[in-house]
Amino acid sequence: MIPWSRDGLELVARFTRVEATVLADLVEQSLRIIDDSVSAGPHSPRDPALARLLPTAYPDDDAAAEAFRSSTEGGLAARKVANAQIVLNTLHAGTVRLTPTDVQAWLRALTDLRLIIATRLGIEHDDDPGHGDEFLAEVYPWLGYLQGSMLEAMEA
Amino acid sequence: MAQTAPETDLEQTLSWETPWVTIVWNDPVNLQQYVTWVFATYFGYSPAEAERLMLLVHHEGKAVVATGERSDMERHAEAMHDYGLWATVERGAS
Repeated sequence: MIPWSRDGLELVARFTRVEATVLADLVEQSLRIIDDSVSAGPHSPRDPALARLLPTAYPDDDAAAEAFRSSTEGGLAARKVANAQIVLNTLHAGTVRLTPTDVQAWLRALTDLRLIIATRLGIEHDDDPGHGDEFLAEVYPWLGYLQGSMLEAMEA
Repeated sequence: MAQTAPETDLEQTLSWETPWVTIVWNDPVNLQQYVTWVFATYFGYSPAEAERLMLLVHHEGKAVVATGERSDMERHAEAMHDYGLWATVERGAS
């Protein structure tokens, strides 16, 4: 890819066909994981990645945690799904141009994606490269590079 | 000239004032640059202060990023979760 650069208020990058396909596929998967959490009942088994995407605000107080969860989880999940959808709507092979609103969605969606992949790779500590799926282990740092490049371009 | 106030329970009075805090925890996923950006963007911290707080989270494992009313602290925690950070809410040290 050609990393992000700033053009006025917009960010621009170039993706190869492979990169765009891989990223779109991953974002689509993450969207489904998050979307499923909303439709599943409160007692359905949850994807372990959701523990990190929709974490507790009161680890030592079950009642407070439940109150917080029930009042915030639906909205959080809906916003994360919306962010993923914006990525899918704006991502394609070739030159990608993002408005400031798109950029906000991309930054959050990339974070959510990294959180899910880190869970799959069993990453629990700083500097842990994770283990297991070789494909995910390669994609994970690339997503970090993609997000870092975006932040660099914004601060340019 | 002020009148002597009637006897009051100072501890009772102060307990209503104990602020709540929002704490952000370190995690192995989020880029340092991203966390700094979140602190500056959402809370309005200066770049230097945002970086200081990020480094506190990174080295100490956590940092208090806001203090105040419980409802506000919950709102901040929810916002942090929006950004993919992990935040919790608790009573501040009295």
